[in-house]
Amino acid sequence: MISRFILRRIVLALLTLWLLSVLIFAGGHLLPGNVGRAMLGPFADPTAVEVLNHQMGTDRPVLVQYGDWIAGFVTGDMGESYAYRSPVAPFLFTALVNSAKLAVVAFVMVVPLGILGGVVAALYRGRVADRALSIVGLSATVVPEFVSGIVLILIFGVWLRWFPISATWKDDAGPFTQLYHLILPAIPLVLILFGYIARMARAGMIEALEADYTRTAVLKGLSYPQVIWRHVLRNALLPTISVIATQTIYLIGGLVVIEILFHYQGIGSLIYTAAKKKDFPMLQAGVMAIGALFALTTLLADLLYARLNPRIRFGGRE
Amino acid sequence: MTINYKLLDLLRRGRTPHENHLIDGLARGAVSRRDFLRYGSVLGLSAPLLGGVTSALGFGLTPSLARAGTPGGTLRYGQIVPAAAINPVTIADGGGVTMMSQFGETLVLSAPDLSAQPLLAESWAPNADGTVWTFKLRQNVKFHDGTPMTADDVVATFDRLSDPELGSNALSVFSGMLSKGNTKKVDDYTVEFHLDAANGNFPYAVSTDNYNAIITPAEFPEDFEATMIGTGPMKMEKYTPKVGASFVRNTDYWGAQALPDRVEVVFYDDYQPQILALQGGEIDIIQQLPVLQAVGLLSDPSVNIISIPSSAHSQVHMRTDMAPFQDKRVRQAVALTLDRPKIVAGLMRGKAQLGNDSPFISAYPSTDPSVPQRQQDLAQAKQLMEAAGVGAGFQTTLTTEKYLEIPDYAVIIQNAVKEIGIDLQLNIMDQGAYYGDAVPGKSPWLDSSLGITDYGHRGVPNVFLQAPLMSTGTWNSAHFNNKDYDALVTSFVAALDLEAQQATAGQIQRLLLDETPLLQTYFYDFLTVTKVGLGGVVSTAMGHLMLGQASL
Repeated sequence: MISRFILRRIVLALLTLWLLSVLIFAGGHLLPGNVGRAMLGPFADPTAVEVLNHQMGTDRPVLVQYGDWIAGFVTGDMGESYAYRSPVAPFLFTALVNSAKLAVVAFVMVVPLGILGGVVAALYRGRVADRALSIVGLSATVVPEFVSGIVLILIFGVWLRWFPISATWKDDAGPFTQLYHLILPAIPLVLILFGYIARMARAGMIEALEADYTRTAVLKGLSYPQVIWRHVLRNALLPTISVIATQTIYLIGGLVVIEILFHYQGIGSLIYTAAKKKDFPMLQAGVMAIGALFALTTLLADLLYARLNPRIRFGGRE
Repeated sequence: MTINYKLLDLLRRGRTPHENHLIDGLARGAVSRRDFLRYGSVLGLSAPLLGGVTSALGFGLTPSLARAGTPGGTLRYGQIVPAAAINPVTIADGGGVTMMSQFGETLVLSAPDLSAQPLLAESWAPNADGTVWTFKLRQNVKFHDGTPMTADDVVATFDRLSDPELGSNALSVFSGMLSKGNTKKVDDYTVEFHLDAANGNFPYAVSTDNYNAIITPAEFPEDFEATMIGTGPMKMEKYTPKVGASFVRNTDYWGAQALPDRVEVVFYDDYQPQILALQGGEIDIIQQLPVLQAVGLLSDPSVNIISIPSSAHSQVHMRTDMAPFQDKRVRQAVALTLDRPKIVAGLMRGKAQLGNDSPFISAYPSTDPSVPQRQQDLAQAKQLMEAAGVGAGFQTTLTTEKYLEIPDYAVIIQNAVKEIGIDLQLNIMDQGAYYGDAVPGKSPWLDSSLGITDYGHRGVPNVFLQAPLMSTGTWNSAHFNNKDYDALVTSFVAALDLEAQQATAGQIQRLLLDETPLLQTYFYDFLTVTKVGLGGVVSTAMGHLMLGQASL
């Protein structure tokens, strides 16, 4: 049963990815202007544009180009970047690794903080601590990352000079130096996600605190910390965890602003610059990578849920 | 002013008639000292000779730009990431040009004052009608791999750049000017360029004014980016696409040894992070900042702003072949609504030069300064609208691109023409969409009846006069078709003589003021920002950043 469920999920994920590849390819080619023109600029000689399009094969019919690209892609060949005239894979790999590093740092900072904030707010519901956490969390969430990012850079980078302004480290930097470079860019992400996670944790906590099993645990004489730790938290955090999971994609793929502001070579800015320059192989590879990551995380989430909730697994046949 | 005739006669000996005509112009007062120095350099008169003539005529000596700096140290600069692979044949963007200026050199330097200075060429001279230009090369120049640079390399470089098969970006400069096979070796250190048509400003086409004109080895490396072989004072140490690069001193350099031990380049996607990095001490120089971005730095005492007047501008076109602008009186009326000094002071924070609706900026030696500057005159504008039969005004659309200050400029124009009853809708598009396929019928840039387009700097006005304005021009968004104009430009381009150029320029300027197919209301300055105390930085409005003589 489980294996059929997984198989169906994988097939669906592949189908989604294929649709995504068609969409991104069609979208890119529907935009006005051709690739050679975008590379050489509006003032370039038409002959030069023609020659460049021919060299890159972008003068062929769109369907042929798509067929060529997808045939390469399924065999692991992501093609050559139009702009850099070299294989896409190393660029994509570096960008993904960089994005993952930043996401991990932000994650490690925000998850404990957010959960702690939510738990504290729930335990002191309606009191000053709760109000303060709600207001701070909400205000931090609505401040766009380019605002908080610039303020942070000005205070800690330009004025106090505690942290480097650029998130890009030198080639020989060790893990601690890398971490040092990533703290400042991670903070705006923490600010954005903190309120969200704390609110979910708070709601889950309140629900769990009011549940019958909590009353039972208290009545059977367990100490308060034990009740919280063993009964409330475990049940309270399930929805929070699913929220965190959906934010993973944002943390990896959606950080264009942060990456540009902090001068960091992540997947977000890779896709952004590729789209700007009509560097289709780079753009497609970047979007497909994000799509694949998304498919993978949803698949994992589905599996996790299926494990916890048999009704999903058996497709409502009970 | 006392004239030393004896010295002057000595200096005139062996000069061509064009050169002597220029010297006479200076003596008569028809040519200013500044223009004499600039145009003399184009004709290939050497710096000592130019200095000799000016002092024989009682003018002061040419000021020296040389500055003693301290050798050693690392300089770090920020620039916009190059848009493509670093290949001198195909580079088409400012970021790529900045990178090439770290390791490569051209035959001629188009200096910040727009004079042509010798670089890899020691001297040059045209034949009598300007169809053949002979360049003498410097003899002790070596490429970074140790091989000497000779005429073979120069010939191969320009054959590559003028070869339609290679898709060279320089074709936009060379088509109709220099064809493949017409760069000829005379001896190891002499090269002749046989032009398709006479050209009085040819040295600029092989100068830093041409994005692609750095001299590269005859044996062009398959993967140029891996070596970046050039002749410059710095040579490539490491390059990481999208991230940055480093360069180290080239100890084999033909000229003064570079002062910095190393130059580190950091690529950025945007300007704001560069400003922050400069303020935070992570970089020493920002290669270029548009005026709008630099506003916060203009009064910052910890930075030094190098402001170079350029011919870069945002060009407004009005289609001369269709309503509502086919009547030149309507076009003139639009031009008369704009308060140019206010635009320069407000929109451009004073970092721009006034424009007079022609590409002739005051810095070009050929510009005729006697042509009156167009000024705001609403009364006359209203009269012209009446005379054209549209006194009640009309509604139309201004189509343009989202780039630098252009959207703000569009709003200024929108407000200005309200005064004469024109109701403008703004259609501000993404840059790529605005240029479209860059051919008529498939490009809002070339099809719109009213639009604004960004034009980069050129050291001579030729390109601005030809492509956007001649009836055969490929960028003719105004659809301007005027036989007199075409003839004037053809003779301007061919003229070898500065006085003749000035006379034709005056006619062109007056014709354009009358016809007003384009509005050129300001030409913005090119800003390079350094931290205070950093000297010797040379940058050009084309995007070059030369740090060989820079030091802290």
